[in-house]
Amino acid sequence: MTGNLVHIVSILAAALAVSFGAIGPALAEGRAVAAAMDAIARQPEAAGTLSRTLFVGLAMIETMAIYTLVIALLVLFANPFA
Amino acid sequence: MGNPLSLDPLFNIGPVPITAPVVVTWAIIAGLALFSILATRRLRLLPGRTQTLLELIVTTLDGQIRDTMDRDPAPYRPLIGTIFLFVLVANWSSLIPGIEPPTAHIETDAALALIVFAATVGFGISRLGLKGYLATFAEPSWVMIPLNIVEQITRTFSLIVRLFGNMMSGVFVIGIVLSLAGLFVPIPLMALDLLTGAVQAYIFAILATVFIGAAVGDPPNRAKSPKEGTEQ
Amino acid sequence: MTIDWWTLGLQTINVLVLVWILARFLFRPVTQMITERQAAAHAALDDARAAKAEAEAARAAAKDAAAGVANDRTALLAKARADAEQEKQRLHDEAMTELDTLRADARTEMAQAAKDRQQALSEQAGALALDIAARLIDRLPDEARIAGFIDGLADAVAKLPEATRAAIGDGAPVDLRAARALTDAEKTRLTDRLQAVLGRPVDITVTPDPSLLAGLELDAATAIVRNTLRADLDRIEAEVTRHDG
Repeated sequence: MTGNLVHIVSILAAALAVSFGAIGPALAEGRAVAAAMDAIARQPEAAGTLSRTLFVGLAMIETMAIYTLVIALLVLFANPFA
Repeated sequence: MGNPLSLDPLFNIGPVPITAPVVVTWAIIAGLALFSILATRRLRLLPGRTQTLLELIVTTLDGQIRDTMDRDPAPYRPLIGTIFLFVLVANWSSLIPGIEPPTAHIETDAALALIVFAATVGFGISRLGLKGYLATFAEPSWVMIPLNIVEQITRTFSLIVRLFGNMMSGVFVIGIVLSLAGLFVPIPLMALDLLTGAVQAYIFAILATVFIGAAVGDPPNRAKSPKEGTEQ
Repeated sequence: MTIDWWTLGLQTINVLVLVWILARFLFRPVTQMITERQAAAHAALDDARAAKAEAEAARAAAKDAAAGVANDRTALLAKARADAEQEKQRLHDEAMTELDTLRADARTEMAQAAKDRQQALSEQAGALALDIAARLIDRLPDEARIAGFIDGLADAVAKLPEATRAAIGDGAPVDLRAARALTDAEKTRLTDRLQAVLGRPVDITVTPDPSLLAGLELDAATAIVRNTLRADLDRIEAEVTRHDG
């Protein structure tokens, strides 16, 4: 049963990691998009530069969520204790 | 559902196991080489459509390098440009059915990040000399030496994991959705993957430029203003 | 999690190969082409700039030439005007000079004519006077032609300088011309008068000369004493003529 327990705990940990790990990047992305919209509304001629920078920034922020996803996958598929 | 983190060798050449990413990379190399040779075979002063595209790519690349490093882009153009083109083509190779992008496996990303790391050190030493390059670790004071060394390693790892996580998660999610829903459902996700792949290729190249630019020291004409964070 | 080190190594080599391939076959030719085009564009720009400068120079030269032509024209006009002015002045002067000359000539001619007329009138007057005198003399008695003149001659001789007087009739008879042959009485009287004036005896020879009209004329060696009507008339005529001339 220890193996089963480890599996159960691993799945729980992965789910927790992804769910909580998604909160921070979600808030950050919301703020980033809001700020970008504000800036574009204020300076429509800079929309090109702003949207390019926004996409790069979103990708950077998204990487945080990806990190948790990687951890979750590691826990699921490359668990050193399983 | 297979393990997305492990690789099975397709065949062996002597003692060397050849895996799928290597084969796809070879195909990409062949394709890019063929394209380059064909496209640059007939260059004219008055460019055709293909030549205009090539020149647009190169000019944009130069502009990005110059914007980021504030230096003449000539010495860095081949490395940065190749990294960008390779990552882009590798990310988009998932468009071909049955092919997994090589960047979705950590070995390819690790290889790219290692090359960037080596290039950082190499350009730094060639520009500042060994002593000068080592002296940059003691800035702004000697207290920062361990932190700077750790930064070198962690940013390389973050480079690896960023690209790997993005591409692997894309492949993984598409696999899950495909196994759950059916044939045409993952198409929007694949479109999102294309965007992610392009953005990640750009980010990888820009970060490599930033790292190399930081290693070769301040630009000659003005103090450097870092464009991107070097730590994630 | 396992990392396939073989794959890592192979991918590293692959990427390095790709870097070399792209650098060799993509970036270098394209960059060269861009550089060439930039050079060509620069050359074209330089050419255009040079051509523009040339055109500017040509335009400036044309402007200068036009200005030169204008200057020349102005100078020519001024010169022509000056020439015309000069010519006009010259013609005017010439005309004035000619006019003056003509006027002077006319004046001279008029003066001459007047003088000639005067002369003629004088001569006519002289001739008339002579004529009148002759007629008058003709009407007078014959003695009158001589008698009235003897005293006059003696007075005239008395007015002569001493040396001249001394020379008269010295050693030779005094040469006298008279309007007619003298009578003896007249001759005696004349001799007496002369002797009284001269203070010594003289001999006289008389030559008749009707052109004298009336009177006596004494011909000495150094002097001629005229005491005749003719001489008077001549003197009057000369006086009139001189006065007019």
